[in-house]
Amino acid sequence: MLGETTFRRPLLLIAVFNIIGYSFLFLSGEAYNWHIAALGTFVTLLICTVCLFIIKRNAGDEYLFLIVSMLLSIGLLVISRLNEGLGIKQFIWVLVGLTLFFSVYFVYIRVSKWERFTYLYIFLPFAFYLITLVLGKNINGAVNWISIGGFTFQPSELSKILFIFFLASYFKQPDMLFLKDSRYSEKTKVVVNRVLLMLVTYLNIGFLVIQRELGTAVLMFLVFLIVLYVYGRDMRTFFLNSALIIPGLLASYALFYHIRVRVEVWIDPWSDITDKGYQITQSLFAIASGGFFGTGIGMGRPDMVPAVTTDFIFAAICEELGVFGGVAVVLLFMLLIYRGIKIILGVKNRFNKILGFGIAVMFGLQTFIIIGGVIKLIPLTGITLPFVSYGGSSLTTSFIALGIMQAISNTDMDEAGGEIYG
Amino acid sequence: MAENKRIIRVMVGLCSLFLALVVYLTFIQLFKSKSLIANTYNRRQVKIEENTARGNIYDRNGVLLAYSEKNGEQQERIYPFGPLYSHVIGYNSKVYGKSLIEAAYNRELLGINEYSQVFGMASSSNYPGRKGDNIYLTIDHELQALGGELLQGRKGAVVAMDPKTGEVLALVSSPSFNPGAKELEKNWQVMVESQDAPFLSRATQGLYPPGSTFKILITAAVIEKGLENEIYNDKGSIVIDEREIRNSAGKAYGEIDLKKALAVSSNVVYAQLGVTLGEGSLKDIAQRAKFGKEIDFDIPVSASRFPHDSMSKTDLAESAIGQGKVLVTPLHMAMITSGIANGGVMMKPLLVKKLEDPDGKTDKDAKSAEFSKIMSKDVSEKIKVMMQEVVVSGTGHNAAIQGINVAGKTGTAENELSVKKKAKEHSWFVGFAPVEDPKIAVAVIVEYGGSGSDTAAIIARNIIKKYLSR
Amino acid sequence: MVEILLLLIKVIFIIVIYLFIFGVIRLIYLDIKSMNISKTNTMGFHPYFKLINQRDMLGFKVEENYTLDRSVTIGRQDKNDIVIKDPFISEIHAHVSVEGDMVYIKDLKSKNGVFVNGSRVDGDQRVLLQDGDIIKIGQVKFLFVAAGK
Repeated sequence: MLGETTFRRPLLLIAVFNIIGYSFLFLSGEAYNWHIAALGTFVTLLICTVCLFIIKRNAGDEYLFLIVSMLLSIGLLVISRLNEGLGIKQFIWVLVGLTLFFSVYFVYIRVSKWERFTYLYIFLPFAFYLITLVLGKNINGAVNWISIGGFTFQPSELSKILFIFFLASYFKQPDMLFLKDSRYSEKTKVVVNRVLLMLVTYLNIGFLVIQRELGTAVLMFLVFLIVLYVYGRDMRTFFLNSALIIPGLLASYALFYHIRVRVEVWIDPWSDITDKGYQITQSLFAIASGGFFGTGIGMGRPDMVPAVTTDFIFAAICEELGVFGGVAVVLLFMLLIYRGIKIILGVKNRFNKILGFGIAVMFGLQTFIIIGGVIKLIPLTGITLPFVSYGGSSLTTSFIALGIMQAISNTDMDEAGGEIYG
Repeated sequence: MAENKRIIRVMVGLCSLFLALVVYLTFIQLFKSKSLIANTYNRRQVKIEENTARGNIYDRNGVLLAYSEKNGEQQERIYPFGPLYSHVIGYNSKVYGKSLIEAAYNRELLGINEYSQVFGMASSSNYPGRKGDNIYLTIDHELQALGGELLQGRKGAVVAMDPKTGEVLALVSSPSFNPGAKELEKNWQVMVESQDAPFLSRATQGLYPPGSTFKILITAAVIEKGLENEIYNDKGSIVIDEREIRNSAGKAYGEIDLKKALAVSSNVVYAQLGVTLGEGSLKDIAQRAKFGKEIDFDIPVSASRFPHDSMSKTDLAESAIGQGKVLVTPLHMAMITSGIANGGVMMKPLLVKKLEDPDGKTDKDAKSAEFSKIMSKDVSEKIKVMMQEVVVSGTGHNAAIQGINVAGKTGTAENELSVKKKAKEHSWFVGFAPVEDPKIAVAVIVEYGGSGSDTAAIIARNIIKKYLSR
Repeated sequence: MVEILLLLIKVIFIIVIYLFIFGVIRLIYLDIKSMNISKTNTMGFHPYFKLINQRDMLGFKVEENYTLDRSVTIGRQDKNDIVIKDPFISEIHAHVSVEGDMVYIKDLKSKNGVFVNGSRVDGDQRVLLQDGDIIKIGQVKFLFVAAGK
């Protein structure tokens, strides 16, 4: 309905944002850093090109990528400010991500009946887990990294997406996925299905826990519950699984030292401020120092916060862009989730609907969990802020998920079957 | 369709979560940010300090009392008058931190204000040439220097104030110490362990029995009760509940009125008056004079004490002559004296006169404020007359100045040494001048200085003379 | 001095981000608004335009149906009620007035004209539409459906 002209203004603003940001960085550095100037130019050009491409070619929803562009811009700017090398690496990952984004988009549209690959969705994650167990490196206590060349990668990130695919397959026709054509009674079939559903779910979660990816485990569990709530045929399984939350929390608190530490530090980081509480207190200091408008890019000291380019990037944003900057990021994610849900509400293909919903919920929860942890609203978990945090695996998974969303949003391909010609 | 409803519910749920994030973030910034920024583990403050030229501190007339010198990468704080201001300005050491004015006005000296908190400039440590604000104290350097000189080699305090505005003109504590960072580090341990307690700010935190100086407050209570015209029989000593109370050297004055009793500082008369007035009356006047209450001042002040439990006759008698459980700081005594000089109204004490930003523009000007109304103007006028008599014909004669009407009260406070040896009492003098239009009020205490008239009165005289002769 | 400049830059920076956010919200709002016009109801007199062309053959976005429950303008500009970014459609191309159960179409001095059943609509006149009429605007062909009369 609305052509490129109307999109020019937000696009222009993104360009202006990047120009101001990188110019400021460029000028305020000790020596004029031409890398930064180059980076800034490339980023601005890249984002504008991609946005225009999507708009001109009617390649699905225009707003999704527009919103993500702003998030990417903020992320790249702050990361470059913190560490030029990482900024460049992140840019490369963005390029990789964009390639994946478009590949996934085109592939997804062309392949019909994604629900055919259910068993792939079930078993591939486990294959990934096993690979990482065998080949994996231990980074910060999490044993799920694989290193190729200078780049590290987390296969378990992909498992997240595969799990949502599985959920979409299951709930396309709830409780009818397994034993479809067998001769068992209706009742038995339903029970078996549900048991298998929970089995696959909890095995996934279990593997994530073993790999010390507790944040992702919680995320998957919550996505599972919410999809169950919306698309389940009756509420019984939902209540059953919800009831597991409290005992689950208590058990994990009792069993895992790691979790106990996290909870204690959440309640009172001040008593162990030099050791366990160091990270979160430094994060709070950074946020407080920023005021409402921030200290200005390059003017604060976000480098005092550990892991500031990855999990704690939001603290850096709050310090240098202020609370208003932080709120802006939250609003952007809210818009993204809103847009995602609006898209799937209009989609007729049930599999796509559930897939899109799962992805939107995943993004939303992931954002809430990490920002909440960084500001000490909830205990800290080791997950990343999509599109903003530094990290190849985080970016690629996010772009893949976004690509799928984009594909789903293309109304031309949306029919009950999902076939498309030409 | 029920499905869609649930989807919308989930959407609303997620939005509420995001809203919670925004609210909590705002909450942190509004309520917690101040303490977070000031937290010692937040090294941003340290970085700002390193990058900011710390503000200077001046006396009220622009005499430079503290400044920073760049020493390579570091800044060194220089105090031209060394120990004279250690108990006013304090010190600024990397090892031992900051004290007194250096601590209380740290943010201003570093150029950080509330404005910068909203706009996050608290951390803008990267732009060059950052300067902090300069502070102008109410202190008059000439008086301070004189006080320091007069207390040289003794323990005690000198406090001088402007009774009308509450501005503190001199705040001397002795013994003192060198506040420079290097000397501090060298001598810290020795000073901490020293019996002389050089770190104690005697003027503001030394608690002493006021001795006879307390009688000026008792006089107010007496006048309020309408007993000012009574005649008393002073036999030199009196026994109250088996406790003997004697005048100085046991001197008996015979039949005297209240005015004479104050002038000669009759313990016998006042002890009796204490009993006559009773607990209620004494506690009332003490409360009006803000005993037991925190005094709001730019540097810490110990609260003076007056017994709060039920008082026996002996307690009443002893309190009335400023002994027993009554304890007071020299600053508070100066404030009370100023109150009497100022028509019964005690003003809030001020140490900082104004703040100036690096360009010379005045940021903040101190405003005088009332602290407490101790007594009515009439009562204060009557006491003024009596206090003048103290100096004219009574124990305060050493404070008399030719051509100036001085009013005052001596005090000779018993302590642990004076019961054994003579002339080891704490020597007090409080007073103001000129009586008809008081411009300065002082309180002086010399520890173990003997009688008030001998030691403290002379110091007070010199201070008042210097100030009024300009 | 330096402080004020820094402050200014900071504030502008933040404002840019928020302008962007509001811009996106505005776009989404406009999008929803134009979506609503193309929803269909099934009760009472609800005339609508039904797209005849094949949607994916056109190089721009058009809806399948456009409800005509009130008077609307058609054109390329965003201000119109029905926005079609067809290069052969003028900025403000045509006006469809709904008066009671009569629906008229009028050409608003467009470059390529408005055609009803093949005949070009006269510049000053408005034409009453009948159920089954074919309306051509630019490259877009609509079927006028006057349901429920």
